[in-house]
Amino acid sequence: MDKLARQLKADAELIEAQVSDELDRRITASLQAVTPDRPRGLRVRQRPAAFWWASSLTGVAAALVLIVIFNSLSRPAGVESPQVAEVSPVPLVMAPTIDWKTESAMLTQPLQQELDDLQSDLKKAEEKVKQDIGL
Amino acid sequence: MLRFLLTRCASYADAEDALQDTLIAAYRYLHSYDSRWRFSTWLYRIAIRNAQKIRSHNVVEFGDLSDEESDPLLHCIALSETENLWLIARRVLNDDVFSATWLRYAEDMSISDISKALDRSDSWTKVNLLRARKALDTEMNRKNDGSEAYG
Repeated sequence: MDKLARQLKADAELIEAQVSDELDRRITASLQAVTPDRPRGLRVRQRPAAFWWASSLTGVAAALVLIVIFNSLSRPAGVESPQVAEVSPVPLVMAPTIDWKTESAMLTQPLQQELDDLQSDLKKAEEKVKQDIGL
Repeated sequence: MLRFLLTRCASYADAEDALQDTLIAAYRYLHSYDSRWRFSTWLYRIAIRNAQKIRSHNVVEFGDLSDEESDPLLHCIALSETENLWLIARRVLNDDVFSATWLRYAEDMSISDISKALDRSDSWTKVNLLRARKALDTEMNRKNDGSEAYG
């Protein structure tokens, strides 16, 4: 503390001020007559962020439990859930089927023989058609 | 606090009234006290406002009646060889700077507490405390030079 600060402190203490008995009584009486003001409006206590997280999680958990219970109660007893086929869920593109109206050849002889027979049958049919149309 | 109010008020009775009002206001509005402040800082803030209120009320009602006869500070200062520095301070400093100087050197308050009590910034308090010291030094030197010259 420097000289000026010391002198300021000392000079402040030289100021003689004393609370008189009369002032003391006055202040005491005033304080007894006054009631402290209450804060305006009740302050809502700030809740920590963890409280809101915990309440949100509790809400979500309760909702999940309700969904599970509701589903298990609404399913008829003894009905098994359908088996899911192990196929690709992607629908296959189906090619249009053509109805050939043919009969499968009864292959009873060697292939070359069969081919010859078929060709002669085809030739006979061709000639018959030509005759029918007058060629 | 009564000492401080004696330096700020026009009469002893005004200083007593200001003290009474300060204590009543503090008790009434205790709920608004912020515990981050020192209690004395909060009390001084109320006291400074009350002193200003009483002084401005007196000026409006009766005009400026401050004179040496009713000056409580003159009556309450013990006799000493040199002029009390607070009388010089009151003469050369404005109200807020005087209050800042009192809180710093008579009450040993920190800069930040003084700033809160006066509702000023820390830099304002620092700068004005330095200026107050300079002004007091200058005034004291002038007085000393004058008395030496006179003697």
